[in-house]
Amino acid sequence: MNLLLSAPKGHDFAEYLFALPFNLYGKAKKVDGNLCVTESEILVYIDGEIKDRYPLDAYEEYACEQLVGCSMMVGRNGDRDAKCICAFTNDSFVAFAEVCKIINHYLTAGILVHESDIDEPKCPKCGLPLDGYTECPYCASKIKTFSKLFGRLKPYAPQFAVAVGCTVLAEILNVVSPYINRILIDDYVRPQNTSHWLGFAALCGAMFVILIINTFLDWANMKASRYVSLNLGQDLRQDVFNKTLDLSMSSISKKTAGDLINRVSNDANKLQSFLTDYGKDAIVRVFSLLVVLVIMFSMNYKLALLAVVPIPFVLIIVKKVYNTIHMYYGRVWRFSNAHSKLLHDALNGIRVIKTCGTEEAEIEKYRVASEKWAKSATKAEIVWNLIWPVADFMLTIGNYLVLYFGSLMLLGRLGAFGTLTLGELTQFVSYVGMLYTPLRWLMQLPRQLADASVSASKVFEILEEHTDVRDDADCVDLDIKGDIEFNNVYFGYNIYNPVLKDVSCKIEKGKMYGIVGHSGAGKSTMINLILRLYDVTQGSVTIDGVDIRKISQKSLRSQVGVVLQETYLFEGTVLENITYAKPDATFEEVVEAAKIAHAHEFVTKLPDGYNTRVGNKGHTLSGGERQRIAIARAILHDPKIIILDEATASLDTETERQIQEGLNELCKGRTTIAIAHRLSTLSNADSLIVLDKGRLAETGTHDQLMRQKGVYYALVMAQRKTTKMKAVQPQQQSAASHPAPAPAN
Amino acid sequence: MDKQLLTEERFEIDRLTILDCSKLRFYKDEANFISLDYNGESYFNVRLTRLIPFYSKTTYISVAYDNADNEFCEIGVIRDMAELSEEQYKMIDEYLEYKYYMPEITKVYSIKDNSRGFIFVDMMTTSGRKTVCVRDWYSNFRMLSEKLLYCVDVDGNKYFCPDIETLDKKSMQVLEIFV
Repeated sequence: MNLLLSAPKGHDFAEYLFALPFNLYGKAKKVDGNLCVTESEILVYIDGEIKDRYPLDAYEEYACEQLVGCSMMVGRNGDRDAKCICAFTNDSFVAFAEVCKIINHYLTAGILVHESDIDEPKCPKCGLPLDGYTECPYCASKIKTFSKLFGRLKPYAPQFAVAVGCTVLAEILNVVSPYINRILIDDYVRPQNTSHWLGFAALCGAMFVILIINTFLDWANMKASRYVSLNLGQDLRQDVFNKTLDLSMSSISKKTAGDLINRVSNDANKLQSFLTDYGKDAIVRVFSLLVVLVIMFSMNYKLALLAVVPIPFVLIIVKKVYNTIHMYYGRVWRFSNAHSKLLHDALNGIRVIKTCGTEEAEIEKYRVASEKWAKSATKAEIVWNLIWPVADFMLTIGNYLVLYFGSLMLLGRLGAFGTLTLGELTQFVSYVGMLYTPLRWLMQLPRQLADASVSASKVFEILEEHTDVRDDADCVDLDIKGDIEFNNVYFGYNIYNPVLKDVSCKIEKGKMYGIVGHSGAGKSTMINLILRLYDVTQGSVTIDGVDIRKISQKSLRSQVGVVLQETYLFEGTVLENITYAKPDATFEEVVEAAKIAHAHEFVTKLPDGYNTRVGNKGHTLSGGERQRIAIARAILHDPKIIILDEATASLDTETERQIQEGLNELCKGRTTIAIAHRLSTLSNADSLIVLDKGRLAETGTHDQLMRQKGVYYALVMAQRKTTKMKAVQPQQQSAASHPAPAPAN
Repeated sequence: MDKQLLTEERFEIDRLTILDCSKLRFYKDEANFISLDYNGESYFNVRLTRLIPFYSKTTYISVAYDNADNEFCEIGVIRDMAELSEEQYKMIDEYLEYKYYMPEITKVYSIKDNSRGFIFVDMMTTSGRKTVCVRDWYSNFRMLSEKLLYCVDVDGNKYFCPDIETLDKKSMQVLEIFV
């Protein structure tokens, strides 16, 4: 990311490492300010004049604080000494946050990074947010993108060629029909020639044959197009899905689930239909346009000019008209959407409405929404009916010019233009009509091209992304015993913002370890590193003495079992969910695992036993039931290392007790690493690893750590304090407040 | 036993505390943050929040601070800033204007839709003329009431127009399609 954006008036970029503009200062007044960073100082300029200067180490920490409508950069010394250095509107937030991180990194590590390694948040060309894309999908080279896209047609080249060939042939035959019409009119109908029945019959036969051939070509075209379209769509979806699962967590976490779903389904589908419909049509329509133009100009170039010259002007006007109509219908869609939301709200909340007696208010709200929708739809229809006939008339105005001047030529009243027969005029008018079909279609092409190019950039970004956590060529499949070691591990999701700093510890096989610390201390990060969802920045994590970067990911993850706070159950039956990690397990093994996890009892009470469908995410089951299925899944998996990440945090005490029994069975004789917010849950742990702000603070048993009276002791005390029940004190009723309900006794 | 348990499980109930403006003494520290002396207690770097920012800028202002465990603690609510002394009013108002920095829209020149969920609004605001890019504009460029227009751009900057009917005719025509 570029952090040299604006130098103060009269100064040069070369003087600074970073120079950012800011626009607010004291009393939220607009100013023309610059915040510049040199090797040793932070300089604050207003209107080119230096206003403040701070040595980099003037504060222990720098941060960006987001207010409601703007943000500010703050320097802090502990909790009670802080100063606002400058303020800015939110468009500069990311840049200032980045500068703060770099200075903080300097304060902790002593190295002042000169360049930011994060991606630009916005496209420098169009200004649209990049949202994790490396290249703006709206500004990416369209030719490059489309050549890649058409490259994917290679395996289906013969079928695609058949589809294109059939369409081209059909277009040629379409051009022949008006010519036959002309001969019929000029040679048989007008002279009322009844002596050449054979010729007349032959022409009629030719038209019939053309019809038959056209039908066959249509059929062949449809079949070939469908084949290409369906296979290409499937290939694209499959490739995007495969690649998505192959990407590292750091790549995945830059994108939302919704975005990835869109890329796998919507974007791939868009490309599928674009390639087979628009891709093929683009070739055919342009070809057809050229053929018709050549014939028209060769027949009569003056008439052809009359048909063609108004087209560019008309197209510009019609495009504007289209946009206006589009806006009006967009408005109708918005009001219809608002109406649906209101309806959805009211019907879902009907109990609340009835119990609060607000039926009339809701009816009124509905009436207003419904009326707005109806009015917007009426207006759109009026606009459509007023504008569209005029626009269509204008688009085909060349037709009327050709008819007028062509008729004059037919009657011999336009000597300069020459003469025409009736048949020739009919043929010419047919061609003018054929000219407008591809033109109307081509008008829509830029929009379709733009849409497809955006989808293509999104899809190719995934397909071409290099995954940063991958198996080395010399990686091994390890039979894990369970000894884990962290050796001077540094790790940060951003390289200069380490979450774990110099962490070294040993986790012995077969023992249970608890990781404790404040939120954000790095507990889950340690687990992510053991699972190798990310690679360490510095240092190493070893299992049985082997660096995990040398162990194949499949081998590693097949021997590590994880039970998380929120269990995710896939769409399917209880049986399928338990056997998810070991699909070849026998049914008896499944029941055995379910019994150990205390899941068997509730499963037998379900109407379809182990075949009961648990639905999307398992919402038909309670939190405790879902957790028991997850434990059964982990038991069946038979891992060497077990990770429990807040496994019982969202459960009530009774359910937790029952689940704990299952967990104890699961953990017997295996290396277990547990994170729990409720410290009492870790009472069984053989040892505790205490993290504080990313550093290893202490290790030891609960008793040892309590005697040490260090970080762990403070955590335990703080937790006891917050869980201690507070007796109700008589409160003075404050003015203007409603009487609060009395506490339940 | 049950009775004893129930008694132990009684929680303290938070009530609305309306602050007595005559006892409030806000002051700015060296770093320009606002601290407070109230009822013999001192609170460092208090957090002032407009509870109904779209309906009123000067009434129902929450005064809170973070305790040593970083927990939110509300000292109380100022019912109407008009009850403060002139000097105190000015100090609080300046702070809130900063925190809720939100330029007012005074004219809308044009709105362009890129047909991909973004619109570009060219408008005059109390902070000057600017063209802002609004993502997902059905949610981020909308009426919060019959009159109040609210706009959040892709960077999170906020703009508002308290009453769109006060805008000129051309602005209204431009807005008509979008709100």
